[in-house]
Amino acid sequence: MRWLAADALLPSRIQMAFTLGYHILLVPLGVALPTLTLLMEGIGLARRDPVALRLARRWSVVMAVQFAVGAVTGTILSFEFGILWPKMLGRFGAAFGLGFAVEGLAFFLEAVFIGIYLYGWTRLPPRLHFLFGLVLPPSGLLGAFGVLAANSWMNTPGGVTVTPSGALDVDVWAALFTRALGYEFWHFTLAIYITCSFAVASLYALAWLRGRRDHYQRLGFGVPFTVGAALAPVQVLVGDLAARALVAHQPAKFAAMEINWTTRDHNPEVIGGLLDSSGHVNLGLSLPSLDSILVGYSPNAVAPGLSAFADNARPSILESNLTHLSFDLMVGLGSAGALLALWYFAVLLRRRRLPDSTWFYRFAALAGLGSYICVEAGWVTTEVGRQPWIVYGAMRVSDAVTDAPAAYVWTMLSVLVAVYALIAFFFVRLLLGLSARWRRDDTAEVEQGVPYGPRA
Amino acid sequence: MRIVLSDVIAAALLLAITAYSTAGGVDFGAGIWDLLAGRGSRGEQARELIDHAMAPVWEVNNVWLVLAIVVCWTGFPALFQAAFLNLYPLYTLALLGLILRGAFFAFRHVAGTESERGIANLVFGLSSVLTPFFFAASLGAIASGRLEPFGPLPVAFGLVSLAATAFSGASFLVGDARRHAPELVDYFRRRAIAAALALMGVGTIGLVVVAAERRELLTGMVTTLALPFVLATVVLTPLVAGLLWRRVFKLYRLLTVTAVGSMVIAWGVAQSPYLLPGRLTIEQAAAPTATQVVLVVVALGVALVVGPAIGLLLFLDQRSLLESPEAHS
Ligand code: HDD
Ligand code: HEM
Ligand code: HEM
Repeated sequence: MRWLAADALLPSRIQMAFTLGYHILLVPLGVALPTLTLLMEGIGLARRDPVALRLARRWSVVMAVQFAVGAVTGTILSFEFGILWPKMLGRFGAAFGLGFAVEGLAFFLEAVFIGIYLYGWTRLPPRLHFLFGLVLPPSGLLGAFGVLAANSWMNTPGGVTVTPSGALDVDVWAALFTRALGYEFWHFTLAIYITCSFAVASLYALAWLRGRRDHYQRLGFGVPFTVGAALAPVQVLVGDLAARALVAHQPAKFAAMEINWTTRDHNPEVIGGLLDSSGHVNLGLSLPSLDSILVGYSPNAVAPGLSAFADNARPSILESNLTHLSFDLMVGLGSAGALLALWYFAVLLRRRRLPDSTWFYRFAALAGLGSYICVEAGWVTTEVGRQPWIVYGAMRVSDAVTDAPAAYVWTMLSVLVAVYALIAFFFVRLLLGLSARWRRDDTAEVEQGVPYGPRA
Repeated sequence: MRIVLSDVIAAALLLAITAYSTAGGVDFGAGIWDLLAGRGSRGEQARELIDHAMAPVWEVNNVWLVLAIVVCWTGFPALFQAAFLNLYPLYTLALLGLILRGAFFAFRHVAGTESERGIANLVFGLSSVLTPFFFAASLGAIASGRLEPFGPLPVAFGLVSLAATAFSGASFLVGDARRHAPELVDYFRRRAIAAALALMGVGTIGLVVVAAERRELLTGMVTTLALPFVLATVVLTPLVAGLLWRRVFKLYRLLTVTAVGSMVIAWGVAQSPYLLPGRLTIEQAAAPTATQVVLVVVALGVALVVGPAIGLLLFLDQRSLLESPEAHS
C-alpha cells in the first residue's frame, strides 16, 4: 500500500477535482436561472399570461433547491482550500483571497434575495416581487466575477511583489484584474448562460418528442433556447480568443492542449490522439500547419512545444493527454452547439415559427447535457493544463499541500464521495417528485381552471 | 491605545464569527431540539414547527461562515495557515456535520416511508450537534495558543457552544410557536429555561478550565473591554430564563442573542491583541495594507447593503409576507 504511505498530494488533488467538478454542476443554474425566470415572469406580467407565470414560479423552486445544494458544496470548497492547500493560502492568501472577498458580498445578496423571491410569490405585490428578483442576476454575476478573479490569479498571477524582508506587497487592482480574467470571465459567463438555457430547454424538447406541444411547452422551450442559441456562436469566438491568449500567457498549457512536443512553425493541429513519453503522437487526425495558422494566422507562425520546458515545469504526459482530450471535447461539442443554433435561427427567421423537425428536437434534447460536458471539459483543460503549478510559475502544487497523512485525506475523500452521492440521489429524487407533482397539477387544473402565479 | 487597520479587520472577523454563532446558533439549536423531540405526536408537532421556522432563512446563515473564513485567509493568511495545518480534523468534522445537515434537511421533505423519515431526522439532528461543537472546539484550540485539536479547552469551548446553541434555538422557537403553534409555547419555554440553566452551569465549568489552561485569557476577560461583555452574558442568560419563567414574552429573543453574542465577543476581546495567544498578534499576521483596505471596503459593503437586505428579509418574514412555495407551486 505505497500510496497510503506517500504524502497527501494525490488524494488532495483528486478530492479538489471531485468537489469542484461537483459544485460546478450547480453553478450554471445558480447564476443564470434567475435571469431566465425573471424573463419568464416579465413576459407573464406584461402579457398577463398565467402560463408564463406558472413556468416562472416552477423554475424558481428548482433554483432554490439547487441553490441550497450549491451553498453546501461551496462552503465545503472554501474550507477545503484550508484543509488541503494551507500553504498556498498562507503564502498568497492576501492576493488570491481578494476575489473571494468580493464573492462573499455577492453571495450574501443572492442568498437573501433568493429567500425573498422564492417565499414572496403569493403574498408580495407582483411588481415588487419582480423588482426584488432583479437583484439576483447582477449578484450572481458579481459572485462569478469574484471566483474567476481568484482562478485567473492562479493562472496568470499578478499584483504581488516580494519585499526585501520577504513579506508580500499587494497591488489590489493588478491582483484582481489579471490577464486571464478578460477571457476567463466572458467565456465562463457565456458558458453558464448557454448551459442553463439549453438545459432548461432540453426538458421541454423531451416533452415535445413525447408529443406534448401546447402553449406551455412551446413557451418553456422557445424562451430559453433562443437565449442559448444566440450565445452559442459567440462562445466559439471567445474560446478562440482564450486559446490564442494562452500561447503568450501559459505556453506550457497551450502545448499540452495541442499535445505539441517541439516548438516549431508549420505545426499541425492534432484532433484526438495521444502523446507518448518519447514525444510521438499516436492515433488522432493531423491537419498540416493548421495549429500554426490558428496561432498566428500563418503557416509560419511558431507554436510552443512541451519539450521547451523542464520536466518539472510542465504537465506530465498523462496530464497533457487529459488536457488535450478535454480541450477537443469542449471544442467539438461547442462547435456542434453553434451549428444547432444556426439551424434554429435559420428556421425561425425564414418561417417565423419554432422548428418542427423531430431531429432538431432530438439534438436540442441533448444540448443541455452537452453543455454540462463542455463546462467540465473546459475546467479540466484549465486546471490540469496548469499543472504542476498551483500558482502558475510561482508555486507548485506539491509545495502547497497539507502535512496531513495521506490516509487521512483518502478517508475524507471516501466519506465525501459517499455523502455527495447521497446528495445527488436526494436532489434528483426531489426534482423528479416536483416534476411528477406538476404534471398531476396540470391535469387537475384543466378541470378546475385555477390560475397560478402572483396575485394579479 | 493605537487602532490600526488590521484591528478593524480583526473586529470584522470577530463580528462574522459572532453573527454565525448567534444566527447559526438559532438554526442549529432548532436542529438539536429536533433531535431531542422524540417520536411521539408531540415530537412530530415540534418538528413541524421547527421545519417551518427554518425554511426561509436557513441558507443565509452559511454566508456568515464563508465570510469569516474568507476574511481570515485574506486578512490574516498566517493565522489561517497555522490553524488549518494543525486543526484540520476539527474542521473536517464540522464540515461533515454541515453537509449532512443540509442534505438531510432537504431529504426529510421527500422521504417516503416512516423509517426513511426516522433516519433523516436522526442524521439531521446529530449533524446539528457536530458542527457547533467542532467549530467552537477549533476556537478553543486557538484560544489555548497551542493549536492542539484535542484538549481540555477545545472540549470546554465545544460544550459551552452546544449549550448556547440549544438555548438560542429554544428561545426563538418560543417566538415561532407563539405565531404558528400556540400549543407548543410551553414546550419550548421549558426547554429554553433548561438550556439557559445548562449554559450557566457549563459556562462556569468552562471558566474553570480557562483558568487552569490559560490564565491570561481569564485575566483578559475581567481586566479589559471584555468585561462588559462577560457581564452581559452572566446577567442576561438568567434574565431570559426569568422572563420566560414568568411568561413575559418581551425582548427575550434580543436578549438571548445578546447573551450568546457577548460571550463570543468577550473571548475575542480578551485574547486581543493576540490572534494566537503567545504566538501571533493581529499586526504580525496581517496581510499587506492594500489588501486590508479592500477587506474594510467589503466589510462596509456588507454593513451598508447586506444589513438592510437581511433586515428586509426578516421584516417580510415577521410580517408573514413570505410563505412556503411548496404549498402552492
Ligand atoms: C458551454 C460551455 C463551453 C463551450 C461551448 C466552450 N467552452 Fe471553452 N471553457 C468552458 C466552457 C465552454 C469553461 C468550462 O467555462 C472554461 C473553463 C475555464 C473557463 O474560464 O472557462 C473553458 C475554458 C477554455 C479554455 C482555457 C482557458 C484557460 O485555461 O484559461 C480554452 C482555450 C477554451 N475554453 C476554448 C474554447 C473553444 C475554442 C471553444 C469552441 C468551441 C470553447 N472553448 C467552447
Ligand atoms: C474553488 C472555487 C469555488 C469556491 C471556493 C466556491 C465557494 C462557494 C461558496 C462558499 C458558496 C456558498 C455561498 C452561500 O452560502 O451562499 C458557493 C455557492 C455558489 N458558487 Fe461557488 N465556489 C467556487 C467555484 C465556483 C465557480 C467557478 C462558480 C461560477 C461562477 C461558482 C458559483 C457559485 C454560485 C452561483 C453559488 C450559489 C449557489 C448556487 O446558486 O448554486 N462557484 N460557492
Ligand atoms: C468550478 C469549476 C472548476 C473545476 C471543475 C475545477 C477542476 C479542477 C481539477 C480537475 C483539478 C485537479 C487538477 C490536477 O490536480 O491535475 C483542480 C485543482 C485545483 N483547482 Fe480547480 N476547478 C474549478 C475551478 C477552480 C477555481 C475557481 C479555483 C480557484 C479559485 C480552483 C482552484 C483549484 C486548486 C487550488 C486546485 C488544486 C491544485 C492543483 O491541482 O492545481 N479551481 N481543479
